[in-house]
Amino acid sequence: MSRFNLYIDEQHPSPWQQTWREFKRSHVAMAGIIMLGFFTVVALFGPLIAPYDPLLQNTDTTLIPPSWDPSGTVRYVLGTDALGRDLFSRLIHASQVTFGTSVMLVMVAMLVGVAIGVMAGMSYGVRASIINHLLDALMVIPTLLLAIIIVAIVGTGLVNSMWAITLALIPHFVHHTRNTVRELMKKEFILATKLDGASKPHIFIYSLLPNMIEMLVVQGTIALSIAILDITALGFLNLGAQGSTIELGAMLAESLNVVYIAPWNIALPGLTIFLMVFSVNVVGDGLRAALNRRLRH
Amino acid sequence: MIKILLRYTNLLVLTLLVVVIFSFALAYLFPGEPYTNLTGVIDEQAAAAHQNLSVTSAFWQYLGNIFAGDWGLSLMTGQSLADEIAITLPATLELSLYALAFALLVGLPIGFWAGLKPHKGIDYSVLGASAVMHSFPVFWLAMLLVLIFSLQFGWLPMSGRLNLLMDVPNVSGFIFVDIFLADNIDRSQAAWDAVKHLALPTFCVSIITMATIIRAVRRSTLEVMHKPFIIAAQSRGLSNAQIFFKHGFRNALLPILPILAMQVTTIITNVMIVESIFSWPGIGNWLLQAIYQQDYPAIRAGMLAVAGAVIVVTILIELFNRIIDPSREKFEDVTF
Amino acid sequence: MINGLRFFAFVVVSATISACSPVSNSDIKVNGLVFCSESNPSSFNPQLDTSGTTADASAHQIYDRLLDFDTESGNIVPGLADSWLVSGDGLVYTFQLKRRVAFHTTPYFTPTRTFNADDVLFSINRWRQVEHPYHKVSGGFYPYFQSLDLADNIVAVKRINGYRVEIHLAQPDSSFLANLATDFAVVLSAEYGQQLIEQGTPSAIDNRPIGTGPYKFVEYRPNHFIRFERHDDYWRGKVNQAQLVFDITPRSALRLAKLITGECDISVFPAQSELDVIRDNRDLELLEKPGLNVGFWAFNTQKPPFDNPDVRRALAMAIDKNTLLDTVYFDSARRATSLLPPSSWAHQSNADDINYNPVQARRLLQASGIEPGFEMTLWAMPVQRAYNPNAMKMARLMQSYLKDVGVEATIVSYDWTTFRNNLQQGLHDSVLIGWSADNVDPDNFYRPLLTCSAIPTGTNRAMWCNPAYDELIEQALLVNDTERRKQIYAQANRMLYEQMPLMPIAHAFRFQAQRNNVNNLTINTYGGVRLGGVVKQYD
Repeated sequence: MSRFNLYIDEQHPSPWQQTWREFKRSHVAMAGIIMLGFFTVVALFGPLIAPYDPLLQNTDTTLIPPSWDPSGTVRYVLGTDALGRDLFSRLIHASQVTFGTSVMLVMVAMLVGVAIGVMAGMSYGVRASIINHLLDALMVIPTLLLAIIIVAIVGTGLVNSMWAITLALIPHFVHHTRNTVRELMKKEFILATKLDGASKPHIFIYSLLPNMIEMLVVQGTIALSIAILDITALGFLNLGAQGSTIELGAMLAESLNVVYIAPWNIALPGLTIFLMVFSVNVVGDGLRAALNRRLRH
Repeated sequence: MIKILLRYTNLLVLTLLVVVIFSFALAYLFPGEPYTNLTGVIDEQAAAAHQNLSVTSAFWQYLGNIFAGDWGLSLMTGQSLADEIAITLPATLELSLYALAFALLVGLPIGFWAGLKPHKGIDYSVLGASAVMHSFPVFWLAMLLVLIFSLQFGWLPMSGRLNLLMDVPNVSGFIFVDIFLADNIDRSQAAWDAVKHLALPTFCVSIITMATIIRAVRRSTLEVMHKPFIIAAQSRGLSNAQIFFKHGFRNALLPILPILAMQVTTIITNVMIVESIFSWPGIGNWLLQAIYQQDYPAIRAGMLAVAGAVIVVTILIELFNRIIDPSREKFEDVTF
Repeated sequence: MINGLRFFAFVVVSATISACSPVSNSDIKVNGLVFCSESNPSSFNPQLDTSGTTADASAHQIYDRLLDFDTESGNIVPGLADSWLVSGDGLVYTFQLKRRVAFHTTPYFTPTRTFNADDVLFSINRWRQVEHPYHKVSGGFYPYFQSLDLADNIVAVKRINGYRVEIHLAQPDSSFLANLATDFAVVLSAEYGQQLIEQGTPSAIDNRPIGTGPYKFVEYRPNHFIRFERHDDYWRGKVNQAQLVFDITPRSALRLAKLITGECDISVFPAQSELDVIRDNRDLELLEKPGLNVGFWAFNTQKPPFDNPDVRRALAMAIDKNTLLDTVYFDSARRATSLLPPSSWAHQSNADDINYNPVQARRLLQASGIEPGFEMTLWAMPVQRAYNPNAMKMARLMQSYLKDVGVEATIVSYDWTTFRNNLQQGLHDSVLIGWSADNVDPDNFYRPLLTCSAIPTGTNRAMWCNPAYDELIEQALLVNDTERRKQIYAQANRMLYEQMPLMPIAHAFRFQAQRNNVNNLTINTYGGVRLGGVVKQYD
C-alpha cells in the first residue's frame, strides 16, 4: 500500500537503522558479531559441519595432537581425546549444545522476566512490594546454590541445570523491565494514551514494548554471557550435562585427567567458551555504545 | 537514623525468615524422610512421630533448633553440620573478601583513570582488557593459572589454604587470625605460606569482579565529569585533577556501592566454583561433596548458611549505602 | 585466530613440560610427610571394611598385627607375636607376644599398661563373638572375616598368661596364619575399649583410634585431610617424620599436580596415562610391581536375565578384552583368564578363556530371548584402583561394544561410599570392579569373591551362590599338598568359565609415585601402604 508522496523527503532512518549505523563504526563490535554469527551457524547446522560422529570411539587413534603439531594429522584437525574421539567434531557438537541451550534459556527467562517486570512496574502498593521482596530474596541466592538445590531434588542433567540458570536470570530481567516501565509510565505520551482511555494491555503493547526492545536486547546479551558461563560451570562441576550429552564445561572436566599428556584437550574447549562469551560481550558493548551515541545525537 | 536502622533490621529478619522457611521446605522436597533431612538422624520411630506433627509445629521446632545451633548431622560423616559449616564458611568468606578487596584496589584507580581520559588510547585498551577479563570462564582461568604459576614456574602452591604440615588449630576459621593465635608454629613463615596459597585463587576470582568495577567506575566518572557543577569548576580554572579529587571523586563512587552489593553473589558463586580446583576447604567444595554423596541434611544446612551470609552482607552494604547517600530515600519509598 | 589458538596451546603445552622447575614448598621445612590418597576412609578400623582406602589410612599407620607379610617375599614374619607354634594336627596355634609395646598416648586416652594378651583376645573376640560388647558397635559387619567364615572355625581364643595366647580351630585351615597377617587382623586396645564403655561412647573406638603403630591419630576432616603424629614410643624404633598427613585428593590429575609442586610427597594410583610424565620428571620416581589383583566385570546373578549363564557368557563374548588392556591399562597389565594373577603359585596358565566373538554373542543372546535394544546398567567405580585405573573409561568402551550386539548399557556411578552401599543392596545389573588380595593364599581370591557367605559381607559382587563351587573351595583348604590344591582350583576355574558369574579382565601392575627425596618406601603387594619406616630427606 504505497502512499503518494508529494514531496521527496529527506529520508529519516529508523531508530534501528541509526543504531546499526553507529554499531558498524566499531570494528571490534563487527568482529564480535561475525564471531557470534559463526557460533549461531554452528548451533544451527553443527552436525552437518562436523566431520565425524562426536561419540565415535576409535581406540587406535587416542590422544592425537592437533594438526599443527609435528605429530598431528590432517584427518583430525584439532586432534583426538582419550577415547579417540575427534575433538573438532566434539567441539562443534558441544558448542551447539552450550550455545543453543543458553540462547533458549535466556529467551525463556526474558519472557517470564518481562511479564513479571511489567506487572511490577505497572502496579503499586502491596502487590509490587511483595514481588520486590521475593525478587530480592531470589536475586541474592547464588546460581550455583540454586543449581545444587535443584539437582538435589530432581537429579543431575542438562535440563535441570537449565532450570536453575533460568530461575537465576529471571530477576535480572524483572529488575530492568520494572525500572524501565516505571520511568516510561511517568512520561507524557503514556499519560496521553491513558487519558485516551487505553487499557493496560494496550498501553503495554503499543506504548511500552517498542520503547523497551533496545533495553531488552542489551540485557539479553548480558544475560547470554552469564548463561554460557553458568551452564559450562555447572557442566564442569558435574552438575549439568551428563554422559553422552556433549557440553563444553563437561568436556573440560573430562579432559582434566589427561591434562599432562594432551593439554590441547583443556585448551581448546576452554578457548571456545572464552571466545563465545567474548563475542557476546563485545556485541553487547558495541550495541550499548551505539545506542548511547544515537541518543546523544 | 534509627528509623533507617529499624527498617533494615526488619528487612534482614524477614528475608532470613524466608530463607529458613525455604530450607524447611527443602526437607520435604528432597528424596527421603523429611525427619532425616531435617536432622540427619535415621530413626524410623522418630520419623513416624515427626510425621504426626503438624507442619507448623514441625517448623517451630526446626526454627528453635536452628537458633539453638543444632543444625542436624551430616549423613555421610555423622558430624554436626553447624560445626562443619563453622569451619568451611569462613574459608569461603575469607577468599571472597580478599578477592573483593583486590578487585577494588586495582579496579578503582584504573576505572578512574580510564574515565578521566575517555575515548583515548588508554581508555580503549582498558575497556578491551576488561572485556577480555569479563569473558573468562572462571574454572578455566583457574586451571591456566595453576598450569602456569604452579606447574611451570613453581612459584605458587596450588591447593589448600596452608601447607598441610602446618597444624594451625581452627579457632576463628580465618587463616591469619588463626595463625596469629597459634603458638606451636613459626607464625611469620606460616603467614607467608598462607599468602602464597591465597594468591592464585584470589587473583582468579577477582578478575571478573575487577572488570565489572572498572567499567562501572569509568562510566560513573564519565557521567560525573559532565555534570554542570564540574563544568562550573572548570570555568573557574581549576585543574582537572583538583576538580576530580575535590568534587568528582565522592560522586563518582556513589553508584559503585549498589554494584558491589550485586557483586557479592557473583563473587561467592565464583569462589564456590574455584574452590574445587584449588582444593580450597570452603563451603562450595563441601556442598559439592554433599551433592555427590546425596547428603541432603548437609545441602539444606549449607544452603541456609550461604544464603544467610549473602543476605547479611548484601543488606549491610545497602545500609551503608543508604547512610552515606540520602538521595536513595526516594527509591526506598517506592520499593519498601 | 589460529595464532591465538597456537598461543594458548603453546602456553599450556609449555606449562606441562616442566621437568625441572623450582619447587615452591621446599623452602618450608616442616618435618613431615604428605601422602596423597584417593578417597575417604569409612572408619579407622580395617576390621570393619575391605576397602583399600581404609586399610591404607589405618592398618599399618595406626595399628600392628600379630604377624606380618614380608613386603618382598610375602613370607609370614613376626609382628606383635615374637614367635608361634602350630600343633601337629593343625588345630592349635600358640603365640608368644612381645613385651613393652606401648599404645598411643593422646589427648583422649592415656594408657596405664603396655600391650598384652588381653588386647589380642579383645581384638579377635570383637569380630568372633556376637555377644561381645563391641561386636554390634559400628554396625557389626566384619566383611573380611565373615566372608571367610573364620569366626565359625575358631573354637576358642585362650589367654595362657599375660604374653601367651592359644587359638583353637575346629578344622585345619592352611590359610589361617596368612589371615592373621592381613591388614584386617589389627590389634586394638582393650583398655581403651573399657574406657569408652565407661564414657558411653563405644563407637569412638573406630573413629578416634588407639593402636600400637608408628603414627597416632590427631584429626580427620572428610574430603580434606587426615592428620597423624609420630608415636614416640614405637616398639620398632624411632619414626622419622614428626607428622604424617593424608591429603585426600580424588582426582588423579590433581594428585600428580600436587606431587609436581611438592605439595605431596607420595601419591597413590597414578593414572596409566600419567606414568610417562612421572618417568620423565627428574624430581619424581615411579614405583612399579606386579600386583596381586584382578579386575573384573561382575553380573548380578540374582537379577533376571543375568541369572542365565548363557546371557552372561554372551555378554562376556561381546567385549574385546585386549582393547581394554591397551586403552585402559596402557599395556601395564596382564590379560586375566581366571581369578588368580600369574604371580600366585596356584595360577593355571592354560585356563579356558572366553574369546571376543560378537557374532556368536548376538546369536546366544537371541537364543536366550534377549531382543536387540535390551537395556542394562553398567556400574563403574568412581575411584581408581590398581586393578582398574579408570572404570569410567572402560565402561564407555564397553558401552560401544555392547551396542554392537544390540545391548543398550547405561553407565551408573556414585561416590565411593554410596556406590558400595548400593552395590551391597544389589541394585546393579553389572559392575566393573575388582579385588586386591590381602594375602598370598589363593583362597583369598576364590572365597571372598564368589562363595555364598560372601554375599552378605559385600565382596561377592556377582551375588553368585553355587553350593558345588563352595564345596570345592572348602575342600581345597583341607589339603596341604599344593599340587592337589592346584587341581581343585583348576576345577573351580572350569566351573567359573562355564557359569561366567564374572568376566575376569586384567591383572594390573601396581604403581605408586613419589618425590625422589622419599626413601625406604616399597609397594606393599600384600595390603595397605606402610609409611612407618619412610625417610624423607631435606635438602
